[in-house]
Amino acid sequence: MALLRSLVHGIRNLLRRTDRERDVAEEVEQYFQEAVSYQMERGMTAEEARRNTRMEAGTMSKAREQANSYGWENAVSTFFSDLRFAARQLAKHRAFTLTATLTLAIGIGANAAIFTAIDSILLAPLPYNHPDRLAVLATRYSNSGFTIQRVTGPDGLDMREQAKSLQAVSLMTGGEEGVQLRDHATYTEVTWVDENFAHVFNLQPIAGRLFADAESHRSALVNEQFARNNFGSAQAALGQTVHIENEAIEIVGVLPGGFHYPRKTEVWEAFSLLPESKSRTAFNYRAVALLRNGVSFQTAQAELGGISQRLQAAYPKDNRRKQIMVLPMAEALTGPARPTLMLLWATVGMILLIACVNVTHLQLVRAMERQREIAIRKALGSSRWQVMRPVILESLLLAMLGCAAGILLAIPAVHMLVAMAPDELPRAHEIHLNGWVLVFTVTLAVLTSLVSSILPAMRAAKVNAADAMKQDASRGMGRKGAATLRDGLVVAEVAATFVLAVAAGLLLRTMFTLMTNDLGFQTRQMLVVDADNPAHSEDDYRRMLQQFDEIFANLKAVPGVEHVAGVMGLPMGPYGSNGNYTARGGLPMNPDHAPSAIFSIASPGYFQTMGIPMLRGRDFNAQDTYDNPFVVVISESAARQSFGNIDPIGKQIHCGLDSDNWMMVIGVVGDIRQDSPAEKPGPALYMPMAQHPYHANQIHIVLRTQVKPLTLMNTVQAKIMQTNSQIAMSFTTMDALVNESITTERFRAVLISAFAGAGLLLAMLGVYGTMAYTVAQRTFEIGLRMAFGANRAIILRGILRHAARLACIGIAVGLVLSLALARLVTAMLVGVRPMDPVSLGAASLLLLLTAIVAAAAPGLKATRVNPLSALRAE
Amino acid sequence: MADENTDVIQGTLDMLILKTLSLEPMHGFGITRRMEQVSRGVFKINPGSLLTALQRLERAGWLDSEWKQTENSRRAKFYALTRAGKKQLEQETADWARRASAVARLLKAEA
Repeated sequence: MALLRSLVHGIRNLLRRTDRERDVAEEVEQYFQEAVSYQMERGMTAEEARRNTRMEAGTMSKAREQANSYGWENAVSTFFSDLRFAARQLAKHRAFTLTATLTLAIGIGANAAIFTAIDSILLAPLPYNHPDRLAVLATRYSNSGFTIQRVTGPDGLDMREQAKSLQAVSLMTGGEEGVQLRDHATYTEVTWVDENFAHVFNLQPIAGRLFADAESHRSALVNEQFARNNFGSAQAALGQTVHIENEAIEIVGVLPGGFHYPRKTEVWEAFSLLPESKSRTAFNYRAVALLRNGVSFQTAQAELGGISQRLQAAYPKDNRRKQIMVLPMAEALTGPARPTLMLLWATVGMILLIACVNVTHLQLVRAMERQREIAIRKALGSSRWQVMRPVILESLLLAMLGCAAGILLAIPAVHMLVAMAPDELPRAHEIHLNGWVLVFTVTLAVLTSLVSSILPAMRAAKVNAADAMKQDASRGMGRKGAATLRDGLVVAEVAATFVLAVAAGLLLRTMFTLMTNDLGFQTRQMLVVDADNPAHSEDDYRRMLQQFDEIFANLKAVPGVEHVAGVMGLPMGPYGSNGNYTARGGLPMNPDHAPSAIFSIASPGYFQTMGIPMLRGRDFNAQDTYDNPFVVVISESAARQSFGNIDPIGKQIHCGLDSDNWMMVIGVVGDIRQDSPAEKPGPALYMPMAQHPYHANQIHIVLRTQVKPLTLMNTVQAKIMQTNSQIAMSFTTMDALVNESITTERFRAVLISAFAGAGLLLAMLGVYGTMAYTVAQRTFEIGLRMAFGANRAIILRGILRHAARLACIGIAVGLVLSLALARLVTAMLVGVRPMDPVSLGAASLLLLLTAIVAAAAPGLKATRVNPLSALRAE
Repeated sequence: MADENTDVIQGTLDMLILKTLSLEPMHGFGITRRMEQVSRGVFKINPGSLLTALQRLERAGWLDSEWKQTENSRRAKFYALTRAGKKQLEQETADWARRASAVARLLKAEA
């Protein structure tokens, strides 16, 4: 109650400050009048009475001041008047304010943008029900530590049946598929899931119902987005039939639009709780699970460990050293992105550090400019705190300005970040600015301001009034400590920038290595069509093969097309297979370690189309049909791996792709990089489409063109539709596929380079500011030296040498820091070592040049000092 | 005379003001004059401290204030005790009596 009253009084006084002061003044005056008239009543003259009152009660102004200073609102109003003063000071020193605000904006903006990404990806809970109980099952080999976020069918089934800590386990498989609707076909992510999927995620359809186990390969769920795009509304989608892999599927339910697990799935087709694959070595399924309420991941892992042990004992060959892991879903999803995000965070941290150093330096210069003002205030009796307060307030105000500008910068930066984000960056579409980011940014701004104002404020507090008045920096009698401090700031700045420049150099070199790596095939002028020809029965497959042959022939006739071929397992493409194989007639086999290779299925003319060199033997031809002896073309590495110096042509190979037939080696082709330019070229087996039809209905058609590939898109589409309108298609170019395969590396390299550029800019500003200030301070000294005959070259050299020395020290410190931080990026580098001399050298040179260039302008200004006017200045 | 301490005993100014005002509403100088008279000049009140104390007591809700005419027809701010102020005075008086007698006992025992 009393607190409330005090609050009300205080606020009233704050709002009507003059009212209160008038009130107090009137009361004081009245008091003194009463006192004087009281004295006069007792017989004094007016003069005596006044003197007596003054003696007893002091002066009216003292009484007024004392009465006015009562109450909490006075502290507030002092604060506001100090703030107004600080704002006026900032407005007056426009250049200072602008530079400092921009510097802070860059530092804070970069941090806000990266924190936004980190918050949305790593910190925010997954947008599913009970996200902390969701898990992903993975298989780990205890000897090698190799972990894959997949399980085999039987292992998954055993976990579902035996693990009591898991409430529900759902197996799934899928990928990009053609979905045939009544009048058109569309390409989207389709996932086959069992009945438990809905239990794991606690899904509630917004229309229709969930499916039951008995509806395997008959029913499907779609999300709202898919329903709206293809049928107009969720209700309209219910009961519709679509064809996926030539099966008629009825849409029985629609899930909310925001749900698209896994990845970008829009269609979930029912499959049985009993997985089709019975192999304990084929990792055909991804598995998600829901932990029972109250069960921790440790408990669940312990139980799964026990079950894994039993499985190892029961299937000593297949389950040898196999361990089933239960990973928190958030970790499984975002784990791979963590190093990149941490690298980015470290980078923007560095930028903030540089920004802080710059602002500190600017503040120091400001503080030195007002040393006299502070000295006078101290001489007039201001306390330490009173002297520090305006300095701190000024930087708080600056921080707020920088914060606002930083957030304005962060908004477009976040948009760019999302646009550039590679596919591997999970949850990219969830990235958005929010309250937490604002809290983070404001906290950061306040901390920044405190850090960068502590030094200047402490110096202000330490100013000794007498010394400051005597000392005159402009006469070259500045204190040694101040210069050392400024130099130290420049060194820190150069060191931090050096680290950024090295990181940027390493990542850029990695990116260029990847871009220029010989892939083993030609990427130019190549149109890629992802074609899904639905087939189910044996007749379907026979018809499908004929259709593809017809399509290849038709496309070859299109003007501008040089070669055409089909392939399952296109390099950089989404499909592919691999596994172990056995060879007869080659090197002796190691029974414990069967050779492995990539398996691809291709049509005749594929190697010619791709520009993969045929080293020995022949390509597939029209005689290599299903009924004739099976044949295979192997890559150079595969030949070396299994046959050494023996001629592989005519030898036999067997692999477990789809048939038990032995295949005769008919040719050897050059190696290619299959999954990404970062990968080493390895062994590959190529088999003809005609002999492996069950793997040949979802293929890539590749066209080597003489014109810009995408200009042929419509013609090609029309030609394919002419043969079969039910083929779902999507188009791209080989160059685009290669580009996409290195988006992660490009993302890192471009971002870190941008940040390094920002750092460099700030460092340049810092060095320039320091040098300009030093020169301005030394004008008198320089004038004096010139008057005594020092020539311009000596003056300029002195200043440049000073800058170069600071830069060299900074580079040395940065080198040590880089050595310490190198292991952060080691895993992200391809073709460069963390201590790459080119990157280190380039960074050193860059910083040295930057420092010298930044010092050149003030240096030249120094040479134009007119000795006469410099000496006369005071 | 200049050596003699005329400060009000630390912490008792509020109680003395409340006591003074318990007789009748008064303005600032009236309070000073009354306290000097009653204490026979032992306590002299400085106007700055008095006005600060009055603001404090008013904010605590123990006093009300009002601008009125004085007997020599000048405008002055008159302070009056509120009900809460009366209660506070009783409490502080009792507290003071308890402590003063304790101090007196201690001093006597020393002597």
